[in-house]
Amino acid sequence: MTASPSPVIETERLILRRPTPEDQAGSIAFMMSDRSQFVGGPMTRHKAWFAFASELGHWEIHGYGSFAVTVRGDDTCLGLIGPWFPGGWPEHEIGWLIWPEAEGTGFAYEAALATRAWAYRELGWQTAVSYIDPGNTRSIALAERLGAVRDDAAPRGVDAEDLVYRHPAPGEL
Amino acid sequence: MTTAPTIETERLVLRQPRASDLAAYTAFIMSDRACFVGREHSRFSAWKCFSAEAGHWMLHGYGPWAVTLKGAEETVGQVGVWQPEEFPERELRWLIWDDAEGKGIAYEAALAARDFDYRVHGTRTLVSYISADNARSIRLAERLGAHLDKDAHPLDPNGLVYRHPGPEALS
Repeated sequence: MTASPSPVIETERLILRRPTPEDQAGSIAFMMSDRSQFVGGPMTRHKAWFAFASELGHWEIHGYGSFAVTVRGDDTCLGLIGPWFPGGWPEHEIGWLIWPEAEGTGFAYEAALATRAWAYRELGWQTAVSYIDPGNTRSIALAERLGAVRDDAAPRGVDAEDLVYRHPAPGEL
Repeated sequence: MTTAPTIETERLVLRQPRASDLAAYTAFIMSDRACFVGREHSRFSAWKCFSAEAGHWMLHGYGPWAVTLKGAEETVGQVGVWQPEEFPERELRWLIWDDAEGKGIAYEAALAARDFDYRVHGTRTLVSYISADNARSIRLAERLGAHLDKDAHPLDPNGLVYRHPGPEALS
């Protein structure tokens, strides 16, 4: 059985790696907390488990997925950020989930920037969007900091209320 | 990281689920009959279940297989053993696409998956969670030698729990 790839991306402060079963506690805690209100939560433990297992499965099925965000020298997962393309998604997405203890550190920006570049380079994506709840001002601010702009003409995501932010294309970076 | 080993039966190959299996899985989950397996009807819910099943292998070292007829690429269902968070017990579960029903495929795959779990993982007991109105699945559970276990904890108030014969009973 061929194992699917486990790429690692290094940034100034972070090591971004494929998520492992050891990352599940933080992810489940996040999805069960109010912090997940803009990304389908808060969820029951059962649903939160599905959400995490689905992140692992995304890698198995597509050969890529959200990267676990870790700080250099500490393998603890602080969030899941990166290329994301579940069934039902109209377009490729750069998604970000960051645990509360890593908010305000700029890690989400650093990880989103690096995984977007990786998706353009390694997966050959020509464009990417982020689907964001209109009430999620933090996430909107991050999208804008990443150079993404609102694209109201784009097909809606799985949640029709979500705004679509389109990232600069590879040639624009 | 663990992925599904390939196992063969007389007519079937049980293998690791892959991206090309998603369309058939989604069609099944979104069909009316899939309400028997308690799913929501959206492509994203279907994706969540499908990808979580692949993730289950990595988390637990066992999980549901994609079922194909020997020599065929496309799936006829997904069958295997799993225990998502908050499932009271380890479950033997079968999903068989409509056009593959009535051929004994689910029986053959479920038997192989149960045998594998007892033999390779040393599991002592397995249940199947079945809706009370899913007569087909109940018949299959009975054909597999499982019996209604009224003392076991169901998944939902209207659900039934069928308990499979353990490894000793089958040897």
